[in-house]
Amino acid sequence: MTASDQIGSVTPVRRRPYGLLLVATPVLLVAWLVIWPIISAVIQTVWTTTPQGQGAVSLDTYSFFFSDGYSLSNLSMTLWTTGVCAVLLLVVCLPIALYLRFSNTRVAVYVQGLAIFPMFVPSIILSFAFIRVLGPNGTVDLLLNSVGLPHIRSPYLTPWGPVIGLVWDNIPLTVLILLSGLGSVSNQAVEAARDVGAGTLALLWHIILPRISNSILVAISFAVLGIFSAFTLPYILGPAAPEMMGPFMQRTFRELLEPKTAITQAVVTFGFCIVFGLFYVRSVAKNRAA
Amino acid sequence: MAATLAYRKLDWTGIVLAAVLTLVIVLPLVVVGTWAFTNVWRYPSVIPQEFGLRFWNQTLARADVWSSISMSLTLSFTVTALSAAICLPAAYAFARLDFPGRNLLFFSFLAGHAFPKFGLLVAIAGIFLQLNLIGTFWGVVLIQLVGTLLFMIWIPVAAFQAVDRRMEEAARDVGASPFRVFWSITLPQAGPTIAAAILLSFVGTFYETEGAWLIGAPQVRTLPVLMISFINNQPVIQYGAVLSVLLWVPSFIALLFARKVVNSGSFARGFGG
Amino acid sequence: MSVLKIKDVSKIFPNGTTAVDSFSLDVADGELVCLLGPSGSGKSTLLRMVGGFETPTSGLMTIDGEDITNVPPEKRPTGMVFQSHALWTHMNVFKNLAFGLKLRKVAAPEIKRRVEGVLELVGLGGYGTRAVTQLSGGQQQRVALARSLVLEPKILLLDEPFASLDQHLRERLREEVRDIQQRLKITTLFVTHGQDEALSMADRIVVMRDGKTEQIDRPDVVYREPQTPFVAGFIGTMNLIEGVVSNGVFSKAGYSTPLPVSDGPAILAVRPEALDLTASTTGQGKVHRVTDYGTHGLVDLELKDGTRVKAMVSHPDLFQPGQGVSLAPRAIAAYRDGKVIHRTSAVAPAPHPALVDA
Repeated sequence: MTASDQIGSVTPVRRRPYGLLLVATPVLLVAWLVIWPIISAVIQTVWTTTPQGQGAVSLDTYSFFFSDGYSLSNLSMTLWTTGVCAVLLLVVCLPIALYLRFSNTRVAVYVQGLAIFPMFVPSIILSFAFIRVLGPNGTVDLLLNSVGLPHIRSPYLTPWGPVIGLVWDNIPLTVLILLSGLGSVSNQAVEAARDVGAGTLALLWHIILPRISNSILVAISFAVLGIFSAFTLPYILGPAAPEMMGPFMQRTFRELLEPKTAITQAVVTFGFCIVFGLFYVRSVAKNRAA
Repeated sequence: MAATLAYRKLDWTGIVLAAVLTLVIVLPLVVVGTWAFTNVWRYPSVIPQEFGLRFWNQTLARADVWSSISMSLTLSFTVTALSAAICLPAAYAFARLDFPGRNLLFFSFLAGHAFPKFGLLVAIAGIFLQLNLIGTFWGVVLIQLVGTLLFMIWIPVAAFQAVDRRMEEAARDVGASPFRVFWSITLPQAGPTIAAAILLSFVGTFYETEGAWLIGAPQVRTLPVLMISFINNQPVIQYGAVLSVLLWVPSFIALLFARKVVNSGSFARGFGG
Repeated sequence: MSVLKIKDVSKIFPNGTTAVDSFSLDVADGELVCLLGPSGSGKSTLLRMVGGFETPTSGLMTIDGEDITNVPPEKRPTGMVFQSHALWTHMNVFKNLAFGLKLRKVAAPEIKRRVEGVLELVGLGGYGTRAVTQLSGGQQQRVALARSLVLEPKILLLDEPFASLDQHLRERLREEVRDIQQRLKITTLFVTHGQDEALSMADRIVVMRDGKTEQIDRPDVVYREPQTPFVAGFIGTMNLIEGVVSNGVFSKAGYSTPLPVSDGPAILAVRPEALDLTASTTGQGKVHRVTDYGTHGLVDLELKDGTRVKAMVSHPDLFQPGQGVSLAPRAIAAYRDGKVIHRTSAVAPAPHPALVDA
């Protein structure tokens, strides 16, 4: 395959290396600030200097991480949060996307606008709004109190705090990705299935879901990559201990001043996400090439 | 007639979805907006006791607010300008020139997206630690610059590729030099999409919190970083509310101008959808 | 006024395909030459080389004796009209036309005068302030033509300019373009894959195939005296019957006709309008289908081995399917090894438009 086949339908003017000069700066930036830090993180955490002054491969930092109760409870809370968020996102966004794909009413335009809207609300404002609405003496409490009902148990500073915030934050892109996948389900395919007698559920299960399974995986991968090491929302809305990997790494790095431990934690998050990361990047690259 | 009647049937699914989404997405923001224009709101009143702009005056009188606004704007302008300066020529090269390794380099910008973002930031912070870039303005610029690369290259590449080659040839034909063709034909044709990419990258930088917090705080205090400390330490709720409204302005501008790009199918495809 | 000379020009693409193979052509002053051929015949590549958008692998091109082979497009005295019109959608009609003049540092009043004059010429007077996206397909193509003409190029290049238009508009525009070309006496090279376009507009037609010239002649000569079986089959409708010549007689599946050439295989070429039919029970062919076009009829007949032959008749009601007929060609040509080996001098009637278009 030639270059032009992959990136786009362009027949390059002429093959001259001065193109390399134009792309050099951003490419070098990526090499220096993305690829090198990852390699360096792995090397740094497995290479130690022995008391005799010699280098040696050592997995000490990792065995500490995986034997330390606190680290492990942080990791398991991160896994729990990520899993719950992924499931909730699908449960929330799939119906929205299906609805948007198959209706063209004015209500649908409004629903699409709302579903995309969180993209234009920075997560820091979201955090503040969350506290004002669901926090102690927040709007929900006010409303419950005014009709004589008892207070809720606020999700603020519990594991559910980050879950609610992260789901809210990830709705727009999940809906957009699913909607883009649903675009490949033609009206004719649906009508033909109706014609041979498929009910709504059969239609969903046999016609629609198989075609968008890849989009669902992409949406989940994207969400997992974002949520697994989320920082702002868990830091503000989540409990102090156990904490998610994002705040944990930040505290280890800036407050405990143990960069090597923090980098070990980072490499652990890489390890847990690598499958999703590679799948996501492969899908994006494939899409871009097509 | 029957068909039109069927279409007129109330869209109950839509109405339920619209109602739930309004409650979940609009209500929290309305609450914040209300707090920003409230002088007194004591529990358990459902509506504030006194509306007013008192806390706007107080918030805008704070030195830390002004210094972080100017820090955020300086950072965003610097990062966006640098990003445009290095990415647009690169995007043009990817779209129109052929050179060894074109494909590999083009997809190398995806590398950062294969890893959890904050983990990657910690790994970069490890490098910055050795270079004494922690807590410096340029450290934050660098880390935010890396975050803009993918979209500042991929969106303009698509925009340049969408320009009809015949239009450029027609300009050569009437006597324009290659540079003049780029300036008078290619750039204006690709302009709206590129402007949207620049706007999105500006807004993305303005709200970037993680890198600024990890690399910059407390020396480099951007508006979102100040907001975190307001949420954590500030007992006066209205300060946070006023700051939230201020903070939302760039997003609102992006909402007005970049919505079309975001709603277009190619944007979602850029995310792999 | 200008002369274009193309000498032994070849174009081999980096992937190894030869698009144009040692092509030579002289276009006289004020002449309109059509490059005609199926897609992939190299005609567009050749035109793009004259415009400067492709560089020849070898060969020489001159305009009025000046070597332009390696001159970039912006320095060539050529003006190109693209198939997709390629108007600049971010400029209005006036700005599209004025852009080239501005680059030449023409004074503003002079630009205005010339642009308005050319818009008048293409029938779009007063359209200057329109956005090009508001124009119809035909108007857009006229603006594209005007954009080239306003710079008064020595050579006008047209790359299938009417391909995206509907049949009716195409016919009208080609008359207009031909009128303008003759009024300005501008030397023109025109690429098309539509033979009707070539036959109705060109002073000379170059029939191309696989990057090479098959025939260069006046339209009527190309039609009446095609030099190769490819040209015979490509222009108009032609019955090409493959058979064998022996002792001066061509025969094929029970049909035979005198052919004064040496023994061996041959392809017999007969235009439908030059083939007379007579009813006969012991006929050489059998009527398969009769189509009545009102002004004339077309009879599809079958030779004994199933070979199909078309004949034009003035009274289609005289023939029924299944009926036996004898064939009497009034004018024939014969080809062997891709070359013409015999031609009767009999003059065929003028081609009927319906047949030419088919």
